[in-house]
Amino acid sequence: MDFSQSYFELFELPQRFELDTDVLARRYRELQMHLHPDKHAAAGPQEQRLAVQYSAFVNGAFHTLKQPLPRALYLLNLAGWDKERVAAQPVAGDFLLQQMELREALERIHGLVNPEAGLEHLQDELAAGWSEHSGELSAAMADEDWNEAAAAVVKMQYLDKLRSEVTALENSLLDS
Amino acid sequence: MALLKILEPGQTIAPQQRRIALGIDLGTTNSLAATVRDGRAEVLQAPEGGVLLPSAVYYGADGLLTGRQALARLGDSPQNTLQSFKRMMGRGREDVAHSGYRLAKSEGGMLRFDTAAGEISPVQASAEILKALAAQGVETLGAELDGVVITVPAYFDDAQRQATKDAATLAGLKVLRLLNEPTAAAVAYGLDSGQEGVVAVYDLGGGTFDISILRLHRGVFEVMASGGDSALGGDDLDRAIVDWSVSELGLDEVSDTQYLLALAAARRVKESLSEQHQAGLEIFGQALSLSREQLEKLIQPLVKRSLRSCRRALRDAGVSSAQVEQVVLVGGSTRVPLVRAAVAEFFGREPLFSIDPDTVVAVGAAIQADVLVGNKPDQELLLLDVIPLSLGLETMGGLVERIISRNTTIPVAKSQEFTTYQDGQTAMAIHVLQGERELSADCRSLARFELRGIPPMVAGAARIQVTFQVDADGLLGVTAREQATGVQSSITIKPSYGLAEDEIASMLKASWEHAGKDLQARQLAEQRVSGQQLLQSLQNAIGADAGLLNADELQKLQAAMAELGNLLNVCEDSAALKGAIEALGRHSEAFAARRMDATISRALTGVSIDELDAGKVGES
Repeated sequence: MDFSQSYFELFELPQRFELDTDVLARRYRELQMHLHPDKHAAAGPQEQRLAVQYSAFVNGAFHTLKQPLPRALYLLNLAGWDKERVAAQPVAGDFLLQQMELREALERIHGLVNPEAGLEHLQDELAAGWSEHSGELSAAMADEDWNEAAAAVVKMQYLDKLRSEVTALENSLLDS
Repeated sequence: MALLKILEPGQTIAPQQRRIALGIDLGTTNSLAATVRDGRAEVLQAPEGGVLLPSAVYYGADGLLTGRQALARLGDSPQNTLQSFKRMMGRGREDVAHSGYRLAKSEGGMLRFDTAAGEISPVQASAEILKALAAQGVETLGAELDGVVITVPAYFDDAQRQATKDAATLAGLKVLRLLNEPTAAAVAYGLDSGQEGVVAVYDLGGGTFDISILRLHRGVFEVMASGGDSALGGDDLDRAIVDWSVSELGLDEVSDTQYLLALAAARRVKESLSEQHQAGLEIFGQALSLSREQLEKLIQPLVKRSLRSCRRALRDAGVSSAQVEQVVLVGGSTRVPLVRAAVAEFFGREPLFSIDPDTVVAVGAAIQADVLVGNKPDQELLLLDVIPLSLGLETMGGLVERIISRNTTIPVAKSQEFTTYQDGQTAMAIHVLQGERELSADCRSLARFELRGIPPMVAGAARIQVTFQVDADGLLGVTAREQATGVQSSITIKPSYGLAEDEIASMLKASWEHAGKDLQARQLAEQRVSGQQLLQSLQNAIGADAGLLNADELQKLQAAMAELGNLLNVCEDSAALKGAIEALGRHSEAFAARRMDATISRALTGVSIDELDAGKVGES
């Protein structure tokens, strides 16, 4: 297997942001049905070792393409944008301001009489922001406007980070 | 009447002899083995009767006993009658709060029990259980075993998995796969019912709790998330009863020996209360009475703890409890009525327990073992499992840099680049960690190794690529490489809580010497088996894909095979045989790669045809 081929080539899919995840999932399952080490457990040691490498490559490819954010980062990478360059892409000041407000709201939740309602409100706002910026990302990707795409990715990364903090807080509230 | 089998015309491969494989559920309280015979999975009878072998080993001055015979010595020799050692696999002394056992004073590494037969690690005790089950298999099936699948809790970390594999090595078994217990249970149920959709497996065993959320789709079992607690199980329910008894009786101090005996009494009353509403218990030499209601109050916090893990697993899987179409109960502790009721309430549906929760894991393991050993090459069964805990490295300031996140599908390989901190730095200490916390001190230490020979450069100039690879057993391998010079680390992984390779070798040697076997003869026999296996697998590969080789390549490969075949008959030197086997392996590497590549194009061609049939092409 050619490990330098792109993940899109591996699954024989067109190299673009919009993709049919059902087709992706089906091709993934079909590849693993043949490549997974379990399918080569009775084979010689060389074949077993290759099966681990191939299967790991297919897993990495599938999980990269399955989710929009890693998929976008991957496409940017193919277009010559490494992680550092994406991260350095400036985003609008009002977005950052809004992020600070959301972050403050998160910090206030512990003191609320009804923290669940506060969490739910915050999650709704994050979901709204997410769908707005993923719309921007799709449009920028379709135009191959890498600057805009990178800006949308940076915003989505901000939201993603905040979302995981909200989840962590929710877990700690559930546990207490 | 069974139908006679007829070969396909032109089939060249001689029909292989059926291979013998066991599925082994190596449990905290009980262990058992199952196998597939005539297309049906069956649980093996234990020599002592019943199917469960108590996971107990007696290490006395007067010899070694396993199972019920070992348990019979609990009364007169509790410190030498080891139980629940699964909970201590891959663990250090400081990890275990109160075992009741005398532990050897060791410096770091895995804890060891101090018994009349010397210091015993949990790996050795587990190996004795595996040996007993394997012997039972050989006796029942009348043939040597070709391999085993051993189940482990899904939430087991790398050290615990490695310890389990080491136990199998000590027992002289070939491990086809370490399989997660909930996944095994899902296989047993899923294949039975042709179930599709999202399934939750709630597995409360003697010492561990697992929750797995799986998606079943046309024979593919895809684990979406797994979670749990490798220190929560029936044992903890027993402890709760013992603690209650201590305060009820107003006891100030309890000796370790009394404690071990009290745990056995607590287990009995717990089991009675699954059937009755009130039961008496004889504990610390006194009589007490416990009602089911009181018991439920005692264990409520533990059950709640398990439900928190369920909630987290659902979230990780990205599904709601309403989307879960089936809930499967596994493990003896799910017989407790409160546990069943709590699970039913949490998922909003009655859980399945049509297969005995004590045997379902072994049955699933047997089904998988039958496939892996090569008896069912065309079986449309694929298990895509995940790692339960994130893997990372310690970086400056004691922080953890995560390389592979929990719930990533395995096998997986990921790399990340690191650099040096000081000018002229020529070595780098690599500390591998597992866990979800941000500080390395809060995560489990798996291993340490050093990368040496980095050319001196200014700080930050070196590019050290560290690669983590997790195989299908969930076991981690780490390599490090300096990018500019290609210096590969001389990795001597020192497992933090495991047995080093030379320790295993010397234990193996000791056990053979003990059994009066000749080490040389044993090694030679092993090399012959592995040589024959290699020749057989190459023979099969040529039978199936000779077209991938040109006449010259085919002739060279066959000549090399004939040479090894000859050597296997005449050579008496195991080291020379090993070298010849490895040489043939290298020789056949390119052929193996071509076969794999051919597999890929076949796989995708198949999909394209499917899509044409389904009218799918063009919609993407």
